[in-house]
Amino acid sequence: MNQNERGWISRCQQGDPNALKEIYNQYHKKVYQIAYGVVRQREEALDIVQEVFIKLFHSIKNFKGRSQFFTYLYRMVINTAIDHTRKIGKYPLSSLDDVGSFQPPEDIERGPEKTLLNKELRERLNRALDKLPPEQRAVLVLREVEGLSYQEMAETMGCSIGTVMSRLHYSRKKMQELLKKDLESLSEITSF
Amino acid sequence: MKQTPLLLPIFVSFLLLTSLSYAQVQTRLRVFEASNVGSGIDSSLRDMGDQLKSLFSFSSYRLLREEMHTLYPNQPVLVPIASRREIELTLIGKQRNVAEVKVKIKQEQKDILNTQVRLSPGRTVSIGGPKHGEGVLIIALSAHF
Amino acid sequence: MKDICSSILRLLNKYFDQEVTPRERILVEDHLKECRSCQKSLKFMEELRSLINLQIREATQEEDLPWLWQKIERGIHLQERPTLWQFIQSWLTSSPFLKKKVWIPVVATLGSFLLISTQIFYKKIPSHPDLSVVEYVESQTHNIMVYEFDKPKVTIIWLFDVVDKDSTAS
Repeated sequence: MNQNERGWISRCQQGDPNALKEIYNQYHKKVYQIAYGVVRQREEALDIVQEVFIKLFHSIKNFKGRSQFFTYLYRMVINTAIDHTRKIGKYPLSSLDDVGSFQPPEDIERGPEKTLLNKELRERLNRALDKLPPEQRAVLVLREVEGLSYQEMAETMGCSIGTVMSRLHYSRKKMQELLKKDLESLSEITSF
Repeated sequence: MKQTPLLLPIFVSFLLLTSLSYAQVQTRLRVFEASNVGSGIDSSLRDMGDQLKSLFSFSSYRLLREEMHTLYPNQPVLVPIASRREIELTLIGKQRNVAEVKVKIKQEQKDILNTQVRLSPGRTVSIGGPKHGEGVLIIALSAHF
Repeated sequence: MKDICSSILRLLNKYFDQEVTPRERILVEDHLKECRSCQKSLKFMEELRSLINLQIREATQEEDLPWLWQKIERGIHLQERPTLWQFIQSWLTSSPFLKKKVWIPVVATLGSFLLISTQIFYKKIPSHPDLSVVEYVESQTHNIMVYEFDKPKVTIIWLFDVVDKDSTAS
């Protein structure tokens, strides 16, 4: 935590909304990234960003500085995002019938090739990510996008490092199962 | 028309119950102790004898508890098992011959295990390892479709 | 090889995330020299990471998030909120959905829809042979190993005491 951040937190704890604005400017993109990574919906993610910063303003008095501020903030984002997914049933009863069953459209070899291919495979990726429980999506985002270490992820999620490793392992394994038929295509589109 | 408010909830309840009857699964839960003290397989576990011999190298297997439970979607069933532990089973989803069941084993407010498994005809999921007496506890879970 | 792969796979995740000890790194790198399956798994992890990163960064770039600050500011300056009871009262008196001629057919329709959709959802589907039996597994107090067998059809989830950590690495 740098000096500026300590100052913002201290002023925020005294009720200064301008201090919250500084924190917002610093973190809003990352908060959105994490929220979007969990809920996978733009509108929901924006609602979560709004809710998190309002919650933060009212609860920051409880932040004692024992952990890093970003783990405190990210934990709020993850919990809020997971609550949202539960409230609106974003993790429905799993359907076992459409795993790997997506057939590429027949005109995929006509141009503009790369754009069509990218869009289709991204949709497959989205569908695969939607099948993960929100806790597993959360660890994927924290690791793959935010680059948190296992220790930082454990602090953020309020669980042990073993649990973090287990969730990461199962989320990657599940994604591999769901996308195994597309692995060759996947390597093509990541080179764009 | 005064009867309408009464008939409608009855009708909706009937529809719901009919729907839910398709979404239940019978599960068999067997809790037994495996150890190297003594020898032999409990007579109630004889049907698992070949399986136990091929998978584990314990000399003795003793049944502690056997129960059948019907699981309904998202309705947890809590079963106490040995040594102040409890197992919680929740039906998460079901196709005709595959049931997704969430299994939690708790001991004194802690989650010893939190897992979700797919039960299909003929498959047993065995959870083992927690210490019990002179040996370990093994919990065998299977489903009937 | 399959047994070695399943124990290396957990280390592979740690290796990919650069969380391994020097000894574990040597184990994984030696195994990777010979195992195509684990090489493929590692490649998949790299590709998945790129793709997730790209998707999320693109989604963020499209957003003009500074405008959201105004809504947050309004939220933290909210002067007076109606109590929950006042909110419920106003909703009950004004909501058109509580009129009989509206809610009776709505409830009947929902009930029928529920019956039909449950039948469609719970249709007979052959089990997918390639899906693993264990969807996920975690423990607050033990290390875990999962073994899957086809003959007999048994899946074993084995819990090791934490002091047995060394015996699980192979």
